[in-house]
Amino acid sequence: MSNVLRPYLAAVRSTLAAALTLENFPSQVVERHNKPEVEVGGSKEVLLNPLTISRNENERVLIEPSVNSIRVSIKIKQADEIERILCHKFTRFLMQRAESFIVLRRKPIKGYDISFLITNAHTESMLKHKIVDFIIQFMEDVDREISEMKLSLNARARTVAESYLTAFSA
Amino acid sequence: MELGFTSPHLSVKRLFFFRCTSAVGTSSFDTVLWTSSDESMGRLSRRNQNRNTTSVSSSILRQHPLKEVSVYAEARIVQPIDDHEEQRDTFIHSIALLKRNALAAPFELAFGKQKELESSSSGQGDLMAIHYRDEEAIYIQAAHDRVTVIFSTVFREETDRIFGKVFLQEFVDARRLPQIQNAPQVLFTNRDPPLEIRDVPGLRHSDDIGYVTFVLFPRHFANLHVAAGTISHIQLFRDYLHYHIKCSKAYMQSRMRHRVSEFQKVLNRAKTEVASTERKTVTGRTLQTR
Amino acid sequence: MNFNFRKIDVDAYDEDVLLETELYDPDPRGPQQVIEDAKAKAASVRTSLAKGDNLGALVTILDNPPYGPNVEEAKNLTLQTVVTVLNSTKATDIPNVVRSLPPEAQDTLMKYLYKGMSLPGWGDVSGSVLLGWHEKLTEVAGTGCIVRAMTDRRLL
Repeated sequence: MSNVLRPYLAAVRSTLAAALTLENFPSQVVERHNKPEVEVGGSKEVLLNPLTISRNENERVLIEPSVNSIRVSIKIKQADEIERILCHKFTRFLMQRAESFIVLRRKPIKGYDISFLITNAHTESMLKHKIVDFIIQFMEDVDREISEMKLSLNARARTVAESYLTAFSA
Repeated sequence: MELGFTSPHLSVKRLFFFRCTSAVGTSSFDTVLWTSSDESMGRLSRRNQNRNTTSVSSSILRQHPLKEVSVYAEARIVQPIDDHEEQRDTFIHSIALLKRNALAAPFELAFGKQKELESSSSGQGDLMAIHYRDEEAIYIQAAHDRVTVIFSTVFREETDRIFGKVFLQEFVDARRLPQIQNAPQVLFTNRDPPLEIRDVPGLRHSDDIGYVTFVLFPRHFANLHVAAGTISHIQLFRDYLHYHIKCSKAYMQSRMRHRVSEFQKVLNRAKTEVASTERKTVTGRTLQTR
Repeated sequence: MNFNFRKIDVDAYDEDVLLETELYDPDPRGPQQVIEDAKAKAASVRTSLAKGDNLGALVTILDNPPYGPNVEEAKNLTLQTVVTVLNSTKATDIPNVVRSLPPEAQDTLMKYLYKGMSLPGWGDVSGSVLLGWHEKLTEVAGTGCIVRAMTDRRLL
């Protein structure tokens, strides 16, 4: 991977590890309810400062921690039109399968492409460092997938054009 | 059996007669309707009064503003069914090529016109338009040293448009390869129609229409054989393009599906084993977690 | 009892409700004092950088940063100064500088790193520089430093 990618992912990893200290916290507003406080956004007491890790303007990760849940929003690099459409399709595809993904949020936060919601229930049933691993691997794989899809599209276009036009010379 | 072909909208007072031995044999059908992938429709039917006549009609010919269609100028008479397999096959083959040949007429006209103009080394032929689909058309114009063919095609989705742009850009760039030096020159614009057809009435100006221009040089229709090949090949272009766009979309979809299952595998690794210890009370009853 | 008692906003009368101002102690200096402090520190940082003393510059600017409401100008000035110092430090010197910082300064530096990253393209902010510093700082100060950046209510 490139030079700047490594510290970027390392920063995301360490911030996530710090933020994933979640504990059960029943709602202070409604009796017997247990909600992810970062989604409710009610009292300032239970919300921590949101942190941004960015490599440049086009790639950002926003981590909003709270006492019993965190929200991780990622903005994926989209350099040109074709990457934008591929990214949009890919994230839509993923978000439609959010249920099987457990930690994925069905709608991204405004300004970002995809969002995760991790609650204390998840950290109790899954290993924390593995969750962090998953998110980091996700970020790497999405970038790689989009560039591979773009390459295959260009290769296909080249072949298509060549085979059509050679028939004229034959 | 005599096969009669008429198309009332052609201002040609020509009747195409195809005598064809019907492969269906005895009267097990009266009318067969068919639709083709390009939204043209046709009908094969037996005229009741004369049980020996079958007529074939096709909606493709409805669109022609042309006065002359030089295609099926031959009338053929074929002996009844059983003998002459190959003649029957040839006939059926030529009916199958009905659409291609009907569309070929303007091309042949343009080629002829170019040869005429070549000697005068200037001037331009008329602009001919073929509306072979609801919203799409082919425009043909002959000049003294070339024939220009312009496709207008509709991309219904934004994804299609962007994929189409990538493909068409490659078409434009492919000429730099040495083995395709002889191919026609391809140009492509997205929203605004190219100069040649700017004045045509009824053009829609919107983002989802693309215009592809092929510039055919005399070597592409030097003799009859080459010309026929060129015409057939050019006619395929639009379907070829859209087919590959759809294929790419399907490929992307399958890649994404694969990637999603990979992600899920990684996530499942994160799950821990839930230690299911059975707990019993002193009298032997098991505790259950709800 | 002919007033609309059901429509009273009960929460407004709640004595126990948590106000944002109660979350942290406000800056004992007044806004005017804060901006003057910031300007003085910026000047001192410029002289330190001219001498090549990046560590000293960093210590100066990280000491007593402006926080809270009403001090926007001071905050911007301080952020700009911090970014200048970070950009002018050679990559090989970063580990040493970070190690020599007192713990409170490390926490403040971490907060400034995150603030800078939330404004990519602001002023001289460079993502790669900040990420380099973040990596080295985490190595030295550990995850706890990040946690403190998350929980400290005194927003820079």
